[in-house]
Amino acid sequence: MGREVKSVLPILIVFTPCLSLAGALLWRNKRPRFARFVYVGSSVLTFILILLLYPRAMNGTVSTQTILEIAPRITLGFRIDTLGFYFGLLLSVLWVIASFYSLGYITSRETRYYSFLSLNLSFCLGVAFSANMFTLFIFYELMSLFTYPLIIHDETDIARRAGLKYLVYSITAGAVILAALIMQYFYSGTLAFTGRGTIGAAGVSAGVLKVIFSIYLLGFGVKACIMPLHGWVPDAHPAAPAPASALLSGVILKVGVFGIMRVVYDVFGVDLLKRLGVSLPMLYVASISIIVASIFAITQTDLKRRLAYSSVGQVSYIIFGLFLLSKSGAYGAMLHVAHHAFMKGTLFLCSGIIMHELGTKDVREMDGAGAKIPLTMIAFSIAALGMMGTPVTCGFISKWLLGVGSVEAHRVYFIAVLLISSLLNAVYFLPIVYSAFFKKVTVRELFSHEAPLSMLLPTLICAVLVLILGVFVTVPGLPYSLIKVVMKVIPL
Amino acid sequence: MSVSSFPILLTAIPLSFAALCPIWGMWKKEACFPWSVAGVSATAFISWALVSKFSAVGTIGYKVGGWAPPWGIHIRIDFIGMLLAVVISSAGLLILIYSWRYIVHEVEEAKIPYYYTLYLLIFAAMLGFSITGDLFNLFVFMEIFSITSYALVAVSGEGKALRAAFKYLLMGAVSSITVLFSIAFLYSVIGSLNMLDISKRLPNTPYVVVVNTALALFTAAFAVKAAVFPVHMWLPDAHSIAPSPISAILSALVIKMGVLGIFRVVFTIYGHGFPSTSNLWSSLCGFVSWAAAFSIVIGSSMAIIQRELKVMIAYSSVAHIGYILLGICMLAPRGMTGGIFNIVAHAMGKACFFLVAGSLIYKHNMKRIRELRGIGRTMPVTAGAFAIASLSIVGLPPSAGFMAKWYLLWGCFQKGRYVFVAMVLLGSLLSAIYCFRVVYYMFFTGPRLHTQKVDEVPPSMYVPAALLSLGTLVLGIYSTPLISAINKFVGSLPVK
Repeated sequence: MGREVKSVLPILIVFTPCLSLAGALLWRNKRPRFARFVYVGSSVLTFILILLLYPRAMNGTVSTQTILEIAPRITLGFRIDTLGFYFGLLLSVLWVIASFYSLGYITSRETRYYSFLSLNLSFCLGVAFSANMFTLFIFYELMSLFTYPLIIHDETDIARRAGLKYLVYSITAGAVILAALIMQYFYSGTLAFTGRGTIGAAGVSAGVLKVIFSIYLLGFGVKACIMPLHGWVPDAHPAAPAPASALLSGVILKVGVFGIMRVVYDVFGVDLLKRLGVSLPMLYVASISIIVASIFAITQTDLKRRLAYSSVGQVSYIIFGLFLLSKSGAYGAMLHVAHHAFMKGTLFLCSGIIMHELGTKDVREMDGAGAKIPLTMIAFSIAALGMMGTPVTCGFISKWLLGVGSVEAHRVYFIAVLLISSLLNAVYFLPIVYSAFFKKVTVRELFSHEAPLSMLLPTLICAVLVLILGVFVTVPGLPYSLIKVVMKVIPL
Repeated sequence: MSVSSFPILLTAIPLSFAALCPIWGMWKKEACFPWSVAGVSATAFISWALVSKFSAVGTIGYKVGGWAPPWGIHIRIDFIGMLLAVVISSAGLLILIYSWRYIVHEVEEAKIPYYYTLYLLIFAAMLGFSITGDLFNLFVFMEIFSITSYALVAVSGEGKALRAAFKYLLMGAVSSITVLFSIAFLYSVIGSLNMLDISKRLPNTPYVVVVNTALALFTAAFAVKAAVFPVHMWLPDAHSIAPSPISAILSALVIKMGVLGIFRVVFTIYGHGFPSTSNLWSSLCGFVSWAAAFSIVIGSSMAIIQRELKVMIAYSSVAHIGYILLGICMLAPRGMTGGIFNIVAHAMGKACFFLVAGSLIYKHNMKRIRELRGIGRTMPVTAGAFAIASLSIVGLPPSAGFMAKWYLLWGCFQKGRYVFVAMVLLGSLLSAIYCFRVVYYMFFTGPRLHTQKVDEVPPSMYVPAALLSLGTLVLGIYSTPLISAINKFVGSLPVK
């Protein structure tokens, strides 16, 4: 265990994105350009502030800050351990990228869009930095609610229906998590995160523990889109504007995963979960999710729906790695959080450009797109290759570690799941890449050209990150080095 | 006039202001509003002054005219009475300020002095009901606030309003007469009207059947006043047809008087585990908690299918009375905390809802939920207040409603009542549907921003609504003092 220091930085970081609200309120009419600068600037500033925590995160020092006692013995507080820092860093990077991209992409209802975008950054950071399950729940619920305006941004009927579906799923999930939360509190008397399981010490029967665990999984599983609970994902992603879909897939789904990680590592603890024997059932659930989602993805012709189903499968990789309960499995899972975020981020940003420039989102109409929007399609191809787990991209690293993890956990046959999934990924990504580069340009696309720089640059940066994360794996500061610190605390 | 006479002033001031209000009205109709504000703010000040005294010394007793209980009239402000007095006087003040501009719109000018008179009367009666120490005054104050409520529901004079008021009157009168009967029963065998005195004498009485009958009748009668599920039929009509500030008073405060009545009977009088009554007592509590649980589900479901905003809000009150009574009658300590806390949370949230509904009627004569398109853009403060209050009504963090639900669920686990857990969670899902539907119409439909200018109601109308909604937020983020106080009070009650 590292040291704990008190620090105001957590509060500062969580509330920095709200600065852009001031931008929205003060300057949106008089100086719209400056307002936009504030929107993007607030996310950049958040990123910089998070970087200040980097030295502490690297030596395992935990920054804590209690804000206030909401009710007797229930505190609202922040505690940034390395896992929280890793999440915070990841989501702030993705937010910066998406904010810049939005400058080019979002043309209507800017005030509402940017306000909710930055509020969501605030809430996601709150989730990542929370010191106990109660704080996590508060921010999680706020995030769930405030994502809604991003999903229905276009205010079309399809978007409204998707938004409604999203709300129904999220609010129900919130009630389910609340039930688990209060059971945890009632039986163990504490909600604090300490880095190891707390609920095991309370002397609760295994049956009750399994119930609490399943309820937690049901609740967080909705955001983490574990297969039977994924219903909102394929509707919400296509409905949202591209940068928002990138964040949905890259971050918001991962916040659900983060909740599950906290449940696994901080509420139950690895040892207790091994004793409860939940590992194997969860592996089956995740495997089914991986394979079935990939098959569904193949059947989709709408590009963003295909990407959404792909997300369902990819996030299940993380769940899979988590419940291998082995060292490499955990490495793979945590790395894949960042890797998938950048890969899927790239893909969604590309899909935005494709829709913007080619005016289509049908995967069968991509013929010759590589000639018209070459840089975008190259970025798309890099990320697609990453999804399949091709070496040199970061997808390979996480898949490799997940495979090693399966061997470590003595569940070798699960490697088959990973291989089949890679194959299926290839089936639904390669045709797009093929038709983009090797088919003739159709007439309709003759007048289209590459996207404006504000959209192209973030996309390319995202794609380059996919390569960097795949090549310079062990460079300090990149996810692997952070996870190494995280793993010091986790008894695997 | 010293601090020691404050308890009696709590009702005496609004009562005398009410008596003088029509006289002011004869001189000048505009004078009634400042007059009422003076009375209500003086009362609010006194109630807050009493809070500081209460926190120093605990339960405050006051002998009216110096006559010692059990013979004299005794005012006894215990924790729940104090809490309600503060809630009533503070919310009452905000709602009164709101009335000023609103009431001109809905009530004809000649009737305005009577409106303020009735307002002060209902206000005085509720305060009296909360702080009285004896049963007879309990009955008297109950009759005052009931009869003024009937009148206030009918104040517009329309056919619909008269019908609703009559329905309310019928059920209310039956319940009042039942309370009177029960008091007579108790008095005939116990020979006392002071609640503490009765509770001391109860164990020695040989008339078990009479005492038990009184307990059952009391509970049933106050359940009507609280509008819990099987006897809630009067509420949706009466609360939706009354002028909006009155709806706010009725929904936020008056039905809580029914809850307080049940609390007084079940805990203050009968709550000490007398062998003669304990069987009936616990089964009654069980019965009420089931009724309350059904209130939650049925009230919320009925709210979903409503098309008119105010009727929807009224049904939501049925559900929330369910949360409160479930917490109080489940006999789990933390559930009790949740129930009592929800009295405050719901008072703020629901008052805000009705004030917002009133503002929409005032400005655009909008009554149906579907008409609210784009209101979030033209009336941002009003709609924003509604959105924030709806977090509390649904029970999402960080809001007061969430903390109430948290403790209520905790209580369910303490007693192992998993069915209630499911019903409470189902209720909050249903409430999310009806609340967020309104928020959706307000903010996410309708014309675009640049076509419409902000067009708010006067500040005297949106500020009270905004303050109430902010109150739910503040209480949700920082509830420690209130909850510790409630926990301490619950510790003194016979719940384990």
